Order: sequence, then C-alpha cells, then structure tokens
Amino acid sequence: MTAAQDFLRNAATKSADLVHRQIIRRGIDHYDAAVRGGRLRFLNWQAAREKCQDIKREAMNHLDRYLEEFERRVKERGGRVFWAETGEEARRYILELAEARGVRTIVKSKSMVAEEIHLTSALKKQGIQVFETDLGEFIVQLRDEAPYHIVTPAMHLTRQDIAALFKDKFGSMGTDDPKVLVATAREALRHAFFTAEMGITGANFLVADSGMVSVTTNEGNADLGLSLPKIHVVITGIEKIIPSVEDLAILWPVLATAGTGQPITCYNTLVGGPRAANESQGPEEFHVILLDNGRTDLLADPQQREVLHCIRCGACLNACPIYRNIGGHAYATTYQGPIGSVLTPHLHGLNEFQHLSQASTLCGACTDVCPVKIDLHHHLLHNRRNAVERANRLWPERIAFKAWRWTVTSAWRFRFVGWIARRVLRWSYALGLESTPLDPLRAWTMDRAAPPIPATSFRAQWRKQSGAN
Amino acid sequence: MAQTESSGRERILARIRTALKTPAPAGAARHFSSEPLPIFAPISDALERFKLECANNNTELIVTPDSGASAAVLDEVLASLPTGEIFVQDAHRLRRLALSSQRRENIRWSNEGAANENAQAAVTLAEILVAQTGSVIVSAACGGRGASIVAPVHIVMATASQLVTTLEAALAQLREHGTATRNSYLCLITGSSRTADIEKILVMGAHGPRRFVVILALSEN
Repeated sequence: MTAAQDFLRNAATKSADLVHRQIIRRGIDHYDAAVRGGRLRFLNWQAAREKCQDIKREAMNHLDRYLEEFERRVKERGGRVFWAETGEEARRYILELAEARGVRTIVKSKSMVAEEIHLTSALKKQGIQVFETDLGEFIVQLRDEAPYHIVTPAMHLTRQDIAALFKDKFGSMGTDDPKVLVATAREALRHAFFTAEMGITGANFLVADSGMVSVTTNEGNADLGLSLPKIHVVITGIEKIIPSVEDLAILWPVLATAGTGQPITCYNTLVGGPRAANESQGPEEFHVILLDNGRTDLLADPQQREVLHCIRCGACLNACPIYRNIGGHAYATTYQGPIGSVLTPHLHGLNEFQHLSQASTLCGACTDVCPVKIDLHHHLLHNRRNAVERANRLWPERIAFKAWRWTVTSAWRFRFVGWIARRVLRWSYALGLESTPLDPLRAWTMDRAAPPIPATSFRAQWRKQSGAN
Repeated sequence: MAQTESSGRERILARIRTALKTPAPAGAARHFSSEPLPIFAPISDALERFKLECANNNTELIVTPDSGASAAVLDEVLASLPTGEIFVQDAHRLRRLALSSQRRENIRWSNEGAANENAQAAVTLAEILVAQTGSVIVSAACGGRGASIVAPVHIVMATASQLVTTLEAALAQLREHGTATRNSYLCLITGSSRTADIEKILVMGAHGPRRFVVILALSEN
C-alpha cells in the first residue's frame, strides 16, 4: 500500500472518529484561548512576526558564514561539531560515540530532528536504553507510538488513557489526577537522569555570535539532561542558526506565544560546550551534530527557501482544518500538518509524498498564524506544481487535464461540452445512477447529495437575468 | 573517520554556497513608514513590572530592604522545608549570610561537588533579573550547571541593582560583559517547572523545582 493510500484510509477513519475529534477539539480550543491572550502581550504582533522573519532571512542568506562562526566558537570551548549529510551519518556518529564511551543509558529531551532520523530505535537496536524525558514524549514512548503533535506529543490521549497506561507500566494508580500522573513520571525518570551516561537534546536555535545552542522546555528536562550525564549530544538541523544572542529577545517570546500562548517558556537554556575548567559541574564532552538531510536542496530552491525559517512552534497544525479533523497520526510523517505537508516531500521524496500537498483547502489559516511568516499555503501550491513537473503522475489524470485544457481554451468548445455534460448528468440521474459507481460525479456524490442540474448554462442564465433588469 | 567528517562538512558548505548564488525573491514591501513599529509596550517602572510578572508566572518573590533581612527570610523559607541537604552556591555573599545553626548543619557547598539526588533546596545567586518577563538569568557560575534544577525548591538571592528592564537589554549585557563567553551554560528561568502535556491541564513541578523563590534585597548592604 502506498503512503497516499495509507493517508486516505487513515484520514477517513480518523475524521469519522467522533471521540478523537472531541479530544483534539478540546486540546486546540484550549490552545486557541491561550494564544489569544498571549498575543495581547505584544503591542504589535505583526511587527514581531516581521522581525522574526527578518532574523531568519538574514540567517539563511548567510547560512555558510553563520554556521562556520558557530562551529568555531563551539570548538574554542572544547566542543565538537559533526556535519552530517544524511540521517544515516548522524545516527552512525551517535552510535559510534555511544559504543566508544560504553554508554548504556541515555536521557533524551524532545527533538523533532531525532524523530526525523529515527534515532531512538537505532540506539535501542544497539541495546542502549533511551528514556524520553519530555512528559508527552515519555507517554507516547510507553505506548510505542510516534508523537502526535510537534509541541504536544500526547494531545490525542485523555487522562484516563494515560492513567491506564501508567497502571499497566508502573502498577496501581487509583486516580487519573494529572498531578499524580506527572509525579509518577517524575519519579520514574529521576533515577535515569542521575545514572545516564549520555544526554541527547535538540536545539531550538543555534546562536552564531556566541556559539551556543538554545534549548527551550517548560519541564526543565533538557536542563537536567545536559547537566548531569557526562556526555551531551545535540542533534539539530543546519537551518536552526540565528546571528546573535540578542535575536532571542524576540524569538523566545514569539516561540512561546505561538507554541502554547505563554509569554515566555519556563526554561530557555543556552549551552556552548562541555564544563569549562573553572566550572564545578557539567558534562565532559559536548557534541553538536548539524544535519543536512535534504535541507540544502530546499535552500537551492529560491522560491521555497523560506520554508527553512520554521521554528517548529506547531501553530500551523493547530490552525489547520485538515489537522483538526484527522489529527497527527493520520499523516504518518515526522512533521505533520501544513509545515509537514510542505517539508516531507523535500525530505523523503516528492513522488511518494506528493499527496500531502492535496491535503489542504488552501484556506491560508496556516500562513496567517505562522510566527515567521512562511507563506505556507503557497508552498503547498508550489509542491503541487513540482509534483506535476517532476513526479510520476497517473496517465488518466494527464489525459483529463489535456482534455480540460482543450475544452476551456475555446468559447464554443466550452459551451458545447457544457451542453453535453448537463444532458449526460440529467439522463444518468433520471436513470437512478446518482452516487453509484457509474455516476460521473462519483467523487463528490459518494458522501454528498448531488446538486440540482440546471437546464441552461450559466452564461444563458446571466444573459436572461441582465436582459430582464 | 576524520577524513569523511571534514569532507562532509565541505560538501554541505559547498552546497549552501551554490544554493545562495541564486537570491530569494525580494519580500513584498511591508511598512508604509521606514521606522519599524514597536513590538512591546514600554516599561516605566522595572521593579513594579518584575513584581507583576512574578505574580503571574508562579515565582514567589519576596522583596526585603537589605541583605540582613534577606538572610532572615531565607532562614524562614528553609525552616518550612523538610529536613535534608541544602545545596548552596559557594559564593562570598552566601557564605556571609547569617543563618541559624540547624540550617548550617545541612548545607552542602557547591565546591564540595554536585547536589545530591535528594537535596531539599538549592540556594544560588543570579546574573541578571529581567523585568519584562519576570525572569532570572543564572549561569554555570551560580552553583554549577544543574544547580537550579535538581532540587524541588530553588531559592535565588538577588539585589535590585541586578534588575534589567527588557529581555533585549539583558541579553546584550550577557554578551557585552562576557558572561556568555565565561560560562558554558546560561538559563533564563521564568517561574517553576511545569507541564501541560496531559489534556493541556497545567501541573506545576515536572522535572524541575515545584517552588521558585526570589528573595530580592532593595539595598546592596
């Protein structure tokens, strides 16, 4: 079964699942209310978006220079930087490092790039125990599921689901009070933090002028993971770079507001290397893996370059009428929602993932909410165009579009085909073929009633009405 | 390994440079005026703003007249906690604080090694306080990396002279004063650890402290 067929089946099942829709609606309603309040803390939200866009545009326009500056400063502090062209190279680097240092246990905080390269499963295959430490990630890891959402990985679960899961994994629970559930997870992970030999984090930003990695969490899990184990590994994409530490004065509040509605996230951490000589605690080793994995291809397309501006806040997922109905798992991709539909064909192949560009109403809600002003719905159109130009399309579709073009490029052909079509539809519906496999409008009438077929063309009706006035 | 490492680097950089030879289409003109619009409202009274933000973000802020009064407050806060290790940053200002003898017995100074897994509280200084967001910036110098996150209670001893109005000014200061160069670790802390990963319901005290206390002395002395 192809990815497209999988997607269609999942989408149909999920959008018909009323319980699922209720859960996701509650989650996103909660988010919407928080963001409405959060934006009021800005005197001018649009100006904030423009400033963020400017920062990311500057960073992308001089990406080579900023990455080299970042690398130089990390090395000055005794850290190591590895440039990985593919996910395979990134995984191999971490696996070899873990093996060389005898790592048995890893505490990991949330990283979409780690999901992108399937890092955790690769480590597990080597017999290394990996603890997801973000609560949402911890929950989906226990369920052996992929994250449902970039920011809220367990948004599809109720507290009852989570209580049942914890009862199954940790024994008697007796309550579904979120406070107790959080305390249970804290206890379960606390020992791991103190015994793990390696901590893996992602990066929200890479700050060129100070050679520091910015990691944002509300729970403080990344801070523990990059403080206690003796090795800290950062896995991230090359596009996370920003020029200056002062850029964070706007990026941190905007990321928080777009991501959760908070004015600023609880822990915004900057880390630039292993423990310095004069510092009493911290890791002995610091490794940053800069991943390309298709990002330079996106950079090479000037029209789609700005897709690399994404700060992974999840706002476009929450705004998207498709995501709101089918949820995150239906996509079966690392990145879901509008940004995922734009990005995935670039990361994993246009041919297999071109269907995602069609999973959109082109309503533009994603573009409106994007805090770095990525023109998301136009990029979905770009992907559609690219798919027609480069990917294998089915021959009936090509013939249909040729026929359509032939029809609409001449006024008399257009009138003639319309005349035929109205008659064919009327006769077939008179024969009772509506919503049967022989219905010419089958794709529409499968789930809907057919509209009444007019007797005359729109042009004729127009002429008649304007003549009457 | 070293060979492939450096060639991977060169290939990525070469691809970036080739890609950037074609400039992106210019963005549409956005402002009618050339002056960018202000993003945040100006802050008139930094201390008042800091108090307000702390109240909103679940920071327990206690303002005292001087360091003597701050020490008394600290003693009270520590007395309210279960008995156990109190991890304290090894700093002259904190060594000087007059704490009662029961408290002194349980202190583990940061120069004696990292905080224990079961420490009851951590007491540290801060680099900068940020009024705009009601935040505290700590560095590796503030008791070592992780000092502010390990214990269930983190207490920051600060003075009003450390208060900076905006986040932008605070970050500029980190760069200009070399704080970001001297320290391998910095953290902007805003309130106590929290999560809303279960049904978007806010729960305080995820992996980090359940209580975040800032004792702020108005005078340096």
